[in-house]
Amino acid sequence: MSAPPTPAEALVAVEDVHTFYGKSHVLHGVSLCVGRGEVVGLLGRNGVGKSTTLKTIMGLLGPSRGKVLFEGQAITGLPAHKLARMGIAYVPEDRRIFKLLTVMENLRTGLDRRGVTEARKQELLDKLFAYFPRLAERRSQAGGTLSGGEQQMLAIARAMMLEPKIILLDEPTEGLMPRMVSQIKEIVEVLHRDGVAILLVEQNVPLTLEACQRVYFMEKGVVRHHALASELTVDDAVVHQYLGV
Amino acid sequence: MSAMGDWIGFVWGWLATHGDIIIIQTVNGIVTGMILALIASGLTLIFGIMDVVNFAHGELFMLGAYVGVVVLSISGSFWLALVLSTLVVALIGAALQITTLRPLVGRDPLNTILATFGISLVLQNYALWQFGPVPRKLDEPITGQFVLFYLAYPWYRLLIALLSGAIIGGLYLFLKHGTYGIWIRATTQDRVMAQAMGIPVPWVHTGVFAIGAGMAAASGVLFGPLIGINHAMGLDWVLKAFIVVVVGGMGNLGGSIAASIFVSLLEAYAAIVVSPAQAVIVSFVVLILTLLFRPTGLFVPTPK
Repeated sequence: MSAPPTPAEALVAVEDVHTFYGKSHVLHGVSLCVGRGEVVGLLGRNGVGKSTTLKTIMGLLGPSRGKVLFEGQAITGLPAHKLARMGIAYVPEDRRIFKLLTVMENLRTGLDRRGVTEARKQELLDKLFAYFPRLAERRSQAGGTLSGGEQQMLAIARAMMLEPKIILLDEPTEGLMPRMVSQIKEIVEVLHRDGVAILLVEQNVPLTLEACQRVYFMEKGVVRHHALASELTVDDAVVHQYLGV
Repeated sequence: MSAMGDWIGFVWGWLATHGDIIIIQTVNGIVTGMILALIASGLTLIFGIMDVVNFAHGELFMLGAYVGVVVLSISGSFWLALVLSTLVVALIGAALQITTLRPLVGRDPLNTILATFGISLVLQNYALWQFGPVPRKLDEPITGQFVLFYLAYPWYRLLIALLSGAIIGGLYLFLKHGTYGIWIRATTQDRVMAQAMGIPVPWVHTGVFAIGAGMAAASGVLFGPLIGINHAMGLDWVLKAFIVVVVGGMGNLGGSIAASIFVSLLEAYAAIVVSPAQAVIVSFVVLILTLLFRPTGLFVPTPK
């Protein structure tokens, strides 16, 4: 199987990135790219460096070698808050919503930016609450009082408030009920329709193959394989090789 | 049963004959408690958001009092001295944070403790060099008194309590409403995620340090007329502020305020039976008991 074509103009490009987590060398030269509006999956077993890759792109971990490009510009070493303003949003694995802030205040951490008019804010909120009526109902409730699924919705909704060009989505369906999982899939589709690129780290292979255009497979801190999602099935030998237990 | 009755009778009798002093000490305790709360809220705010134990807090309090003395001597206005001193020391605090604490983010807490301790030594000796060892006096803006039983009680003391309350209330409103309040609270809860949401965390830290420094300065000016102003005046107060911050639960604003009033009231009541110098021991006893039996703080919900 030949490697699928990568987008001519990458929105995010990771080039030969090495990252350490404390003293342990986690990423050993990761390279991948995500095109504008493209949904890309990142698959692999636990501990192969998928989350570390996302954190490195977000500027939360500094790579010791290699670089990350955003819209052709090197962003390695820029602080996360600048990247967030440039259009990279991050939804971490453990959600990390601000538990003592209300739902509305959680959203406002992303919404209260320079250059966003009140009218635009309201527009964004209206659109968001149309997708997530549950969050609208609970807007003045503390984030910590929401259920796991609602917290995941809030984490994604909060990221959407940044009007990002790409969302780094780390295991959004982990520990959720099937009904919530299908809702997450719908949101990914909505974001894709709106032209937002997504780099999706998931354990749920069927969902990843359905939601993504391309997938990368990671093993021991490097990308080992790269394929069009449409050319893969859940039972593929490749899938078994990198994910099978 | 009759022994119990005797006891109750004794306590009632004592209370009835000492009612005046109890009320006086309650007022004193609340006044001291409010000023302590003002100092402690800056300290606990800084700790809560950046895990920095600010050993220079007492020197910012002292610096505030001195800036107040200078502005008062030039302008003749106490209120201008209060406002300018708060702003000047807030700016100094911001500059100190940027130059000495920002480069230490992410290092072992011992580094920031040493850094703030260093700042405190520098500021103390600067004050000694600049203003000399002779204590300065800051005149209170109002000199009126009212009669509290047999005492002529200065109105200014009550005004201090009210102003401290107002400043703390202002801080609460600032934190509770508006974008910057949300930024500060989000950063307190999860620094990394706040940054990933585009909140400029290094500047939030600088801003909070400046607010804490400004509050210390305001309390220095407000309290200046009641105590002598010298280069070492910060020591006593910051020690007490540390005690109430620990008793109230590190980083917990409401807890620190409650603990300030609680400890000050206890000290004031103790001063009825023992000498005021001995009454200070009460706050240490409360500190030790808190650390032994409830190390997370008296005024915080039991951790789950």
